[in-house]
Amino acid sequence: MKTASSRIFFITGYILIGIIFALFIVSIFWTPYDPNMTNPAIKLTPPCAEHLFGTDNFGRDTLSRVMYASKYTIFISFAGIAIALALGLVTGIPAGYYGGWTDRGIMLLSNSIMCFPGILLALVAVAVAGPSMYNVVWALGLVFAPTFARVCRIGTMELKQRDYITHAKVMGISSPRIMAVHILPNLTASLLPATVIGLANMTLFESGMSYLGLGVQPPDASFGKLLADAQSYMTRAPWLVIFPSLMLIIYILGLYFVSEGIRIKSSKGGN
Amino acid sequence: MGRKTGFLISKILELLATLILVSLLTFVAFSVIPGDTAQVILGPDASQAQLDALRAELGLDKPLIVQYLNWLIGLFTFNLGKSAAFGVPVSGLIAERLPVTIGMSIIALIFVIGISYPLSILSARRPGKILDQVFSVLGHVLFAIPPFVLSLLSIIAATALFSGFRAGQYYRPEDDFAGFVGCLMLPSFCIALPKIAMTFKYMRSSIIEQSSSEYVKNAKGHGLTDFRIMVKHILPNSNVSAITVISIVLSDILAGSLIVEQVFNLPGLGRLLLAGIARRDFPLLSGMVFYIAFITVLLYFAADILGSIADPRIRLK
Repeated sequence: MKTASSRIFFITGYILIGIIFALFIVSIFWTPYDPNMTNPAIKLTPPCAEHLFGTDNFGRDTLSRVMYASKYTIFISFAGIAIALALGLVTGIPAGYYGGWTDRGIMLLSNSIMCFPGILLALVAVAVAGPSMYNVVWALGLVFAPTFARVCRIGTMELKQRDYITHAKVMGISSPRIMAVHILPNLTASLLPATVIGLANMTLFESGMSYLGLGVQPPDASFGKLLADAQSYMTRAPWLVIFPSLMLIIYILGLYFVSEGIRIKSSKGGN
Repeated sequence: MGRKTGFLISKILELLATLILVSLLTFVAFSVIPGDTAQVILGPDASQAQLDALRAELGLDKPLIVQYLNWLIGLFTFNLGKSAAFGVPVSGLIAERLPVTIGMSIIALIFVIGISYPLSILSARRPGKILDQVFSVLGHVLFAIPPFVLSLLSIIAATALFSGFRAGQYYRPEDDFAGFVGCLMLPSFCIALPKIAMTFKYMRSSIIEQSSSEYVKNAKGHGLTDFRIMVKHILPNSNVSAITVISIVLSDILAGSLIVEQVFNLPGLGRLLLAGIARRDFPLLSGMVFYIAFITVLLYFAADILGSIADPRIRLK
């Protein structure tokens, strides 16, 4: 029963993520129209054979725009997680390994960052640094870092009790090398679920920020930015909202399903 | 008695330390970032003498530690000075926008508890059966929809279904309280839906876990009805996880309302925050950031205390 359901989650999750990645990969080589080409003559055309997802208020093809936007949504979620992961690793592992004041200091900082609602912190950070895609990546990386630092810290504290680490110490291997070569690779199993769920949450945050105009800047677009542009026309041209929303939901849902699959599988392994 | 007060005192000290840290972090962040409040107020054409005079008036020429202490006192006496962009007191601006955000949070919380509780009880009665499966899949899907997307989609749906529906209407609570509650219903529901899914998931697994425990089997053996076992035994024992989830949900609701307000054009804290961001109004922003973090910290504190009342074992840890 449990194996079956974890497999269902994995398969559905991979299919959903696959749809968005397929859009992204195809968009590198080909889009039905130029995503930034305006044509006032055909503005706000409902979905039809020539324009499967309709056109927007400038006559731009929505399908092309959506394909183009997938690139930015995917890029920001992965780049943001890479930063969060890197920050989490360089703070969490030493905190767990050395303990004492290093641990206390790092944990104090990460706990106090966690007191602020994530979206608030990211919004203010971007507001101060100026709205741009790279600032969003940095801000979200910073906001998500404490989660990874915690996972790394707990994992390292456990691993450091193991015999092979004691052996490594006795053999005179330096602490940085122990952390990088002997502890880091063994944290992968506990970091994987946090990373997948982090990607989903990162996408949620990014879409919200881009929707508020503090994320991706024109002419670039992510799914959230497309929704922001569509808002003024949403009752006249609902397709402008529905298709980007659908893509956003498919991507986030796919990531949640994969993380749920990992959770079920690991909880089964634990029993 | 001793243990109880000891627990309470240590929790309160922890709360105070966290608040001081949060205020320090907010203050430092807003001091190191580029931007000058005097410049924002006077505009780009101000002379150096005017800038210096205003800085002296605002206390911006004093050492940072004095500025911090002044700001800290201001936070707790609700006197944060004037907003750089609006020219009126910051506390007044925040107070004016509070009804919308608080109203939405309360209504959303009622939705979350009112819907997720019955559903999780229904679902946990027969885990793995069709009803449970349907609810679980539905929960996953709802959890994946960002509240602002849900809001956009619900506006489209409502406009298509009801000819009289107009999005973006707002009634002030002092003018028309029913209208005020009415215009907050749909936005609150949109914020609540993903949280209903989240609470459902935790409550369901907590109830299932409790149901398989010895004391429930014992109660069944004594011939108690399922309803009585649920209300008198299982639910009270699920309280601790419920309190934890709900404190997280509440802080998420608060954060979620910041964006959803924008979709429905409601004059709450979220729009004030965006206006402050757009005009680089640091006195307003630093005050709002602290108060929102303050509420979040207070929520977790309340959850800790309530949790220890619901389960006295926590105090011993």
